[in-house]
Amino acid sequence: MIAQGHPRSIGKHVPRREDPYLLRGEGRFLDDIAEPKDTLFLSFAMSPHAHARILAIRTDAASALPGVVAVYTAEDMARFVKPIRTVIEIQGYRASSRMVLAQDEVRFVGEHVAVVVAEDPYIAQDAAELIEVDYEPLPAAVRLEEADSESAPLVHEDIPRNVMFEAAFASPDFQAAFESAEMIVSETFRTGRVAGVPLEPRGCLALLDHVADSLLFYTSTQIPHLARTALSEILDFPEPRIRVVTPEVGGGFGTKAQFYTEEVVTAALALNLRRPIKWVQDRREELLTSIHARDHIYRLEAAIDGEGRIKALRTDLTTNAGAYSSYPFGCTLEATGGARMIVGPYDIRNYAFHTRAIATHTCPSGAYRGVAQPSCFMAIEGLMDRIGRKLGIDPATVRQRNLIRSEQLPYTNVLGVRYDTGSYEECLRRALERVDYWNFRKRQAEARDDDEVLRGIGICCFTEVAGAGSGGWRVRGLTKVPGFDSASIKVEPTGKVTLLVSQAAAGQGHLTTFAQVLADYLGVKVEDVFVSEGDTATAPYGTNTFASRGAVAAGGAVIKAAQSLRQKIARIAAFLLDVDVERVELTESKAIDKENPEKSVDFRQVAQIAYSMTSVALPQGESFGLEVVEMYDPPLATWPNAVHAVVVAVDRRTAKVSIEKYVVVHDSGRLINPMIVDGQIHGGIVQGIGEALMEQIVYDEDGQMLNANLLDYLMPMALDVPQIDISHIETPSIDALGGFKGVGEGGVIGAVPAVTNAVADALARTGANINRLPLRPSYLLREMRRRQLAVDGDRK
Amino acid sequence: MALQFTLNGKTVEFSGEARTTLADCLRHHLGQTGTHVGCEHGVCGACTVIVDGEAVRSCLMLAVQAEGSHVTTVEGLSEGEDLSPLQAAFRKHHALQCGFCTPGILTTAHALLTHEPDADEERIRHVLSGNICRCTGYLPIIEAILDARAAYADGRRGKPA
Repeated sequence: MIAQGHPRSIGKHVPRREDPYLLRGEGRFLDDIAEPKDTLFLSFAMSPHAHARILAIRTDAASALPGVVAVYTAEDMARFVKPIRTVIEIQGYRASSRMVLAQDEVRFVGEHVAVVVAEDPYIAQDAAELIEVDYEPLPAAVRLEEADSESAPLVHEDIPRNVMFEAAFASPDFQAAFESAEMIVSETFRTGRVAGVPLEPRGCLALLDHVADSLLFYTSTQIPHLARTALSEILDFPEPRIRVVTPEVGGGFGTKAQFYTEEVVTAALALNLRRPIKWVQDRREELLTSIHARDHIYRLEAAIDGEGRIKALRTDLTTNAGAYSSYPFGCTLEATGGARMIVGPYDIRNYAFHTRAIATHTCPSGAYRGVAQPSCFMAIEGLMDRIGRKLGIDPATVRQRNLIRSEQLPYTNVLGVRYDTGSYEECLRRALERVDYWNFRKRQAEARDDDEVLRGIGICCFTEVAGAGSGGWRVRGLTKVPGFDSASIKVEPTGKVTLLVSQAAAGQGHLTTFAQVLADYLGVKVEDVFVSEGDTATAPYGTNTFASRGAVAAGGAVIKAAQSLRQKIARIAAFLLDVDVERVELTESKAIDKENPEKSVDFRQVAQIAYSMTSVALPQGESFGLEVVEMYDPPLATWPNAVHAVVVAVDRRTAKVSIEKYVVVHDSGRLINPMIVDGQIHGGIVQGIGEALMEQIVYDEDGQMLNANLLDYLMPMALDVPQIDISHIETPSIDALGGFKGVGEGGVIGAVPAVTNAVADALARTGANINRLPLRPSYLLREMRRRQLAVDGDRK
Repeated sequence: MALQFTLNGKTVEFSGEARTTLADCLRHHLGQTGTHVGCEHGVCGACTVIVDGEAVRSCLMLAVQAEGSHVTTVEGLSEGEDLSPLQAAFRKHHALQCGFCTPGILTTAHALLTHEPDADEERIRHVLSGNICRCTGYLPIIEAILDARAAYADGRRGKPA
């Protein structure tokens, strides 16, 4: 056996390689790429109606504007573009087809009806405004509650009652357990509609290589390989002749893990017009058309015993799918995720769910950081608090009684999902300690009715589905999400190492972390490794970057590839050192004789032989080169876990919420770069604070989005952010190579429920029942006053 | 429309439509793409540049309004390969992830510390509240700016010690 080098790089705060060029303003984001002189620019005409029949489109005035090259409608596009159809092989799913420009009917405000191609982006926008469309407005199903009814207007004629997806599950003993329990605690939770809002809007640039008759497609995406396959299928253009490149991506958060109609239009028009085409959206378009998320209703019923233990849990979930099934995850993603993840770190042996995705005349929903988990944990964690209140047991104790105990691990949950390792009890214990929980409860009990602020404390215990392999996506019926990721390692003739991974980062620091992983597993100096990703011409095929999968899936692929290549390096080194291969150890870009450490050859000497660049011949039986590609299919999922504990103060008069203390105890297995991990948690928490306290996409009853700009779509700013106390427990995964569990989404998943519970706890003494997001002052005041008015009314 | 202004110490000329924003002029006509455009309505701050010492939104300013001004963009904050002390502090504190908002935050912080090298945390948070960062959660940015203050003391304007 060849010994593995000691960890030298994994676990270290290695400064990011991405930083210097980004800090100097040299990062090349999509719109920073210098386009060729003959590039044409696109601008889309968008529907002003949520639901309408298109009677006529007049493009003459737009076409006549100097500088306009062409104007296309759905009819024109249909000649060379197929509809986008998200195929999901699961019972209860009804696929919707979507043309890249609306044909005959529009189904949400912002849906594209025509596209202008012009010599200049300003002219393109001018022309788009000159397009005249005659619409016959039709009744719209906008709110989830309204669309989910027999009498609602249909979004798609062939989807009855707007039910795009429906599924149900019950464990064998559910009914008996539910009926025999001592009491039932139930609640309905309504989560808010939000969006990822990456600071860089979406865009793409399509170039033709006339010699190779191929398409070079730059796009601000998290899924270059999946986008390439989709482009090939939808445009009926050979996949080998498409090269997708992701430049720097200015934030993704899942928003850019969808493949969008504009990408198809841009590529199609470049191929059709034989000219470079660039499209960059503005913020209004971004908010109107990039996927939304978390528009859910959870109706929970827990059958409990007198100690607060859940004997059986029933979830009824309804999610708002929007007008179409987004690609590639479709409308089932949130509906399935919310219903399945909600059991979390709890030992719930009897479970049933009924879940549906309802079509509405709004922007399609999709994968936003955490997917349904911030919502489903807001629901189950809210229920934990209500169980406590009902029984007069502290909510922390209720959780302690329900958590999966360490000795139960590995644990197979009621849905048949395996949690390999975890630290549920320990995370809770430490979080309570760090937030000084029991002393807070004592002080809270001494609070007086005339205090100016109401203080509360909220907890969220959660598991996070991360790093899903092919099995995890097959279970969900997804057909265009492979699940594996890959790494290609080349030790070049000079001995330096090129590492290509099937990922596309949007700020996660992959160029640094994957170099760290390879350094330790190949025995190479971290500075000798050059990492590249996001270019389908060089990087091997993979599932790309979303759902906290980078470290697990691509990290595993790097390890697998390193293990395979080090065998060959060691064999050649053993030949050079004239020792048995068992005695060779690779470390710090050298192969050393373990029994005589003075004797060593460096990677350059090994590579020179492998590439036949020296007078020493390659040993017999060895092949030339030092290259390897490996695919890694992670387990069904890895399961990071954490506990967030939050103290808030709510002003009695204004209902302004101040976060006074924020504690996280996090376990995402083995950490590669703790600095980057903390950055992911920080950022996620602040997004979660935004989701809990202020963020909301608002549609009026006609389906107009009232806040499609950043003045009115409120997100946290520097003044809104509390200090955050993060500590880690590292329980390595035993199912995933390297022990990594993934870390991209935990921050937001924990923050939404913990902040919500803290506010609900603070207001509990007013009798307010807080069960919907966002927790804006207007809502909180209304809830506080409603109870107060009721009390006043009783007195009279 | 033709005009001249000083960009990062060099005289530049622009001729184009009167409606061209300063951001588009810098990015698409003068090739200085470090300044980013995130919202085009003055909220996100990614396009912040320094005009005659003041941090301004280049998406809300027309290029013609820059006639005769001194404009500093992120490209003008450091020389060559070396990071300025402010940029180095951002790296040390992991104050950037995707890096899209970073140029606007650097110019905002540079303008602040140039005028107020002793700005405290509260002041920094207030000034930063005109910049959206969707990745970092702001805390590392605040720490980095606090850390960089020394380089602006004694009129050093962010030059290395």
